[in-house]
Amino acid sequence: MKDGFRQSMAWLHTWSGLLVGWLLFLVFSAGTAAYFRDEITLWMKPELHQAAHTPVPQAVALGHAQALLARRAPTAQRWFVTMPSEREPAVRASWVPAKPEAKDGAAKDAKPKGRRRFESAELDPATGEELNKPRATRGGDFFYRLHFDLHYMSPIWARWMVGVAAMCMLVAILSGIVTHKRIFKDFFTFRPAKGQRSWLDAHNVTAVLALPYHLMITFTGLVTLMFLYMPWGVQALYPSQDRFFTDLNNALPADARPAKQAVPLAPLAPMLAQASAAWDGAPAGRVTVNFPGDANATVLISRQSGRTIGYDQPDMLFDGTSGRMLSSTRHTGAATTTRSVLYGLHIARFSNPLLRGLFFLSGLAGCAMVATGLLLWAVKERQKHAKRLAHGGRHIGLRLVDGLNLAAIAGLPVAMACYFWANRLLPAAMAQRPEAEIRWFFIAWGVTALVALARPTRRMWQAMLAAGGVLFALLPVLNGATGGAHLVTSIAHGLWPVAGFDLVTLALGGALLLAAWHLQKPAVLKKPSHKPLAAEAA
Amino acid sequence: MSGLHETMAAVTALTAAIAGFASLSLGIDRHWEALHGRGTDPGAWRRRLQGAGAGGLLVSLLACVALRGSAQGWVAWAGMMTAAALTVVLTLTYLPHRLPPLAKAMGVIALLAALAMLAA
Repeated sequence: MKDGFRQSMAWLHTWSGLLVGWLLFLVFSAGTAAYFRDEITLWMKPELHQAAHTPVPQAVALGHAQALLARRAPTAQRWFVTMPSEREPAVRASWVPAKPEAKDGAAKDAKPKGRRRFESAELDPATGEELNKPRATRGGDFFYRLHFDLHYMSPIWARWMVGVAAMCMLVAILSGIVTHKRIFKDFFTFRPAKGQRSWLDAHNVTAVLALPYHLMITFTGLVTLMFLYMPWGVQALYPSQDRFFTDLNNALPADARPAKQAVPLAPLAPMLAQASAAWDGAPAGRVTVNFPGDANATVLISRQSGRTIGYDQPDMLFDGTSGRMLSSTRHTGAATTTRSVLYGLHIARFSNPLLRGLFFLSGLAGCAMVATGLLLWAVKERQKHAKRLAHGGRHIGLRLVDGLNLAAIAGLPVAMACYFWANRLLPAAMAQRPEAEIRWFFIAWGVTALVALARPTRRMWQAMLAAGGVLFALLPVLNGATGGAHLVTSIAHGLWPVAGFDLVTLALGGALLLAAWHLQKPAVLKKPSHKPLAAEAA
Repeated sequence: MSGLHETMAAVTALTAAIAGFASLSLGIDRHWEALHGRGTDPGAWRRRLQGAGAGGLLVSLLACVALRGSAQGWVAWAGMMTAAALTVVLTLTYLPHRLPPLAKAMGVIALLAALAMLAA
């Protein structure tokens, strides 16, 4: 009976993993990259690498941003100031331009659905000088969005697909734990160069050693989109989801209106000081001014993220004309806090680089787990039908899986690297540049996929891994050659986000090249039984 | 919290976890055999290795909590254990004879770093 249960779990594990494996590999890879979303974005804007990196008091940085906003966008509906941090040295001032009132109805029809256009400028926090307008790019946000919205399709459909894949992943993890008979005995075991045995070992090791992470990231991933997957609770209590999110995020209600009466904005520095004092001196992360210069102006200051696990940061709302505090954070309910912690665990916007590094490492283990699982299926299947295949028999399913494996596992790194190369090779002032960069990503992936499906051979694996490795390993050179801060400068100046990007891509490139080199050796499937290591050493 | 205190806590957390997992792995027959020849088993050493291993992981947890507080500390610990266990697996696979000296060195560093952390 027990064996029967284990076998049915093995079946479940195989199919729940295989059918969504390729999508999961994309989600895991892009999601892992997204831990360094800000660093990737900074790397992709080499114009900002020169920003002064001396910390200044927040009030100074905010003052510079306010001066620029008052000059450039006095009639804007809303101002946002993103305060400088260790990860983003520049201070960013953005604004939503005033609504064109007369043709409200016409504008609604003309504009596709989506977020309203922001305009923004980035400043040196110490001098207030506007930094050279950086090239337009989606930067690391592309990977962040890609990992749940995919691309070239409706985000809602994409989120459902990713949700189904994540649910399958959760099933695969739990059934995998049941299937794995020797979890503790094989805890540290990896036996290389033994065919199927090695793939199974690698799959087990990358799964078991990061198991808390895999369970956490899959579950919390589902939680981040729970209002989409399970909207009924909200539907029962709120007339619309928008209203619910306004409440949840302490945002300005959509029906708030300016008074159309000019009153100067109260000084922001005292509000900043009051908020920071209430948070035991923690710095502010974002300052939002609604209806600046109007009698109904309000100022919302929220704390810099990264001090806690939770995603929601405490904030404070001030009257924009008197500077009086109106309210401070209302998220205190147990349910909101739970969601905030689960959400925060998933996106890991911790201030601590060590912690983010550990998440990145675990994410890589996740990619390896999915990849080895997919390869293991192909290896097993090939062995099962070895005789038939040796006599020229065909196995359509196996060939398809082989092709998809190659396209996903070796093709995706090529596509990612091409995205970074496009960032530096396309002309900086090109129109619709962000879309062009993304097109390079998908063209590269499309080409590798076609080649992979046509010829899923060992040589092709080698060629594609080597291509990805070379493209990744040369990124630091490209960075130095196309206006970025090259490794020597970035390390000397302590510009760690940029130096870190270069070092990590160098390491990833090295790993891919090592894998390609490893494939050079002839297949070792029928090796004589392994001698004990002690005897070898003697 | 000073920079030195944080650095030492991080070093303690990682090295203690590596030493802990290395000890635990040597308490498993397969890995003991790989080092001492087929047919041998750790015998009385098994308990000691397992005790030392559990102790190492516990020290690592305490260092993580000292580093990031009781909430993020647990998260950091999980990550540290993953990094440490991967290190032990790679050592066992490619340099098995370096594992005992590695475990000892990591244990000593963990001890020194823990003392420095408490002093800082």
